[in-house]
Amino acid sequence: MSFDLNFIGILIGAIMASSVPLILAASGELITERSGVLNLGVEGMMIIGAISGFALMVVTDNLFFAVIGSMFSGLIISLIFGFLTQTLLTNHVATGLALTIFGIGMSAMIGKNFVGIPGKEFPLLFVNLKESIPFLGPIFFGHSIILYFAFGLPFLTNYFLKKTKTGLVVRAVGDSPTSASNQGINVTLVRYSCILYGGAMCGLAGAYLSLIYTPQWIENMTGGRGWIALALVVFATWSPIKVLIGALIFGGITILQLHMQAVGLRIPVQLLSALPYIMTIIVLVVISRDSRKIKLNTPTSLGQIFYKEK
Amino acid sequence: MNTKLKVSEISKIYPGCIANDKVSLEFGSGKIYALLGENGAGKSTLVKILSGVVKPDEGEVFLNDESIKLNSPLDAKKNNIGMVFQHFNLFETLSVFENLSIDSDKKDEDLRVLVNDILKKYNFKIDLDIPVLNLSAGQKQKVEIIRCLIRNPKVLIMDEPTSVLTEQETDDLFISLKQFSKDGILIIYITHKLKEVLSLCDEVAVMRKGKVVSVSSTIDEKIESLANKMVGENLNTIKKKINNLKNNEEILKISNLNFKSDDPYETNLNNLNFSLKKGECLGIAGISGNGQNELFQILSGEIITEGTSIMFRNKEIGKLNPRERREYLMAFSPEDRISQAAVPELKIYENVALNNFKSSNFFEKGLINENKIKEHSKKILSNFSVNTDNVELKSQFLSGGNLQKLIIGRELITSPELLVCFNPTWGLDVGAINYIHETLIQINEQGKSSILISTDNDELLKLSDRICVIYKGKLSKIMNANTVTAEKLGILMGGGSID
Repeated sequence: MSFDLNFIGILIGAIMASSVPLILAASGELITERSGVLNLGVEGMMIIGAISGFALMVVTDNLFFAVIGSMFSGLIISLIFGFLTQTLLTNHVATGLALTIFGIGMSAMIGKNFVGIPGKEFPLLFVNLKESIPFLGPIFFGHSIILYFAFGLPFLTNYFLKKTKTGLVVRAVGDSPTSASNQGINVTLVRYSCILYGGAMCGLAGAYLSLIYTPQWIENMTGGRGWIALALVVFATWSPIKVLIGALIFGGITILQLHMQAVGLRIPVQLLSALPYIMTIIVLVVISRDSRKIKLNTPTSLGQIFYKEK
Repeated sequence: MNTKLKVSEISKIYPGCIANDKVSLEFGSGKIYALLGENGAGKSTLVKILSGVVKPDEGEVFLNDESIKLNSPLDAKKNNIGMVFQHFNLFETLSVFENLSIDSDKKDEDLRVLVNDILKKYNFKIDLDIPVLNLSAGQKQKVEIIRCLIRNPKVLIMDEPTSVLTEQETDDLFISLKQFSKDGILIIYITHKLKEVLSLCDEVAVMRKGKVVSVSSTIDEKIESLANKMVGENLNTIKKKINNLKNNEEILKISNLNFKSDDPYETNLNNLNFSLKKGECLGIAGISGNGQNELFQILSGEIITEGTSIMFRNKEIGKLNPRERREYLMAFSPEDRISQAAVPELKIYENVALNNFKSSNFFEKGLINENKIKEHSKKILSNFSVNTDNVELKSQFLSGGNLQKLIIGRELITSPELLVCFNPTWGLDVGAINYIHETLIQINEQGKSSILISTDNDELLKLSDRICVIYKGKLSKIMNANTVTAEKLGILMGGGSID
């Protein structure tokens, strides 16, 4: 393998593409968790997003409807979670796990008729720039609009949480729902909104997989990415920028180890496949070890059921 | 600016308990009103109604002769009723300023100017840009007060504000409250501490079992008269007999005890020496945070130290853990009932079993012998007059006083030779305090010893045979209790010296 600058650019572009679903799902889940709700249904919401996006694309032949529809279906399924945990006050963990199981089963059922249908080409932006500029071209250009959105999202999320009033309210609810309620904040409404937003982002993450990354429907195609997204949020200590870093490391090592496998290095394949998980956790733990910051970023009421005194 | 607040015929019924029974009261600005009552008398329910957190079943609230609806905390805010809760309603991970700005509709810059004015006017010193979790309890309370002041309150309600404050902070608070009152804010002060009522308030309403039993001016009242109204019976004042302990054998000897901590929030202990005789009560006074926590943990074995520095009945026990020390017949009642002494989510009998792991018949072959534990728990409940006989009740539903009785009972039923207790009556009402005090005197009369670490000087003077003061991790000389006065303790607690 000769040293080729352009090849490295293409590699980085590929790494970026592979981390998009993680960034989207983790950014959404981050907002949900910041409001004190632990939704373990990320994997389920993603796969529902993936199948509904793909199915809508096949049925309507319109990618715009497909993308919007996938977000909407993620939102609807997270609404079930919201109703159960916020209105019926069920346990967050159990409900989230059930949501994932439900999502996987439901998507497999819907997806039966869509196996083997080829996807549609998703429009990529600035394709000519990608080819005309060596190295930087494949990094910055020739991606789908969703990728650009995903890479902007952590910064938007950070701005939202730190600089806006609404972001402050979300953090306050995550810190202490009782205090927030006593301050006249509608805790249930805030939490519902954050759950729905998280659902929509997970739906979009799923659609990215089935419409752009590998444009087809394969059963169980999220392949545990939802769980990785969940882990990213925790190991990134609820910081959106660290989520981005974590997702890139995970995507990067996933791609690199595939190349290493292809080259035929004498390292057991199982070890190589485990590498992304291990490295991501190590790096995130190292960059987030400031215990004071962890305390400040952790939503104190995470996973706690809130009910209002009457 | 004159404000009149009137509550009329307020009732609130919870399942199994009438929290407020046709409560009617009138308040006017320029005075500080005390609402006095034991825990569970209905004070907190009434103020929750006034702050819109809880809706009354019946009755009305009038502000300046106009009936107001208080359906949510927002309604209370709209009507300029400010409230500082006993358990702070702050967001610990947010900065002070974020805490203040969250419910304000002002622009951040304007709010900052306003807050700085308030800080200056009342001489509060708080950094606005650090997270609330780094503040002391007194500072947190000031943040709560500022949050109310931002909205130009007509009424300010303080729910048991001094239960978390040091004496100095309490003095500061009283100065501020008097200033607010002068500025025309109507202040309603909820408490069960009688001294505070007399030193701060102008008028006092006493509540008992959901009803208002008396309204009077504080100049017409004395501590005894208020206490009797509050409890509803004549309290017998307890007096400890002076024991002659000269010839009693020494049971505990602490020598050259040192403790150095890596945690900057802990206090180092510096060369402590004292001993304790059979049947004696040693009181350790001090302002909280001067090493009492660390000393308690060392005595109980939560922190392990050199073996020889603690000798109990001539055995080295410094290296033993709490369970092993219990086997040597020591018993401990920590300061924090909810997080250290008991597990609130567990049932009463489970909490009883927790510190009797080794006890012969509670566990057989690794299995829990529920009946034995329940029997034992029932005995504790009845011997120590805990206000329930249901051992299946979760401990979190016990009031502070009953929980403390349960904890002390759990410790004493094994007839220990030494009981170490740390602020045993913190936050309790008069009735419960009396009971705990009687119990502590009783164990000394039975020839058992006790160490009482407390921040309540009256309690120390009442119960101790000898007293010393802990200041910045060092002990003062140990004095006979009958030669000590509250003034002397005060000087030593502030780091001064007496001769």
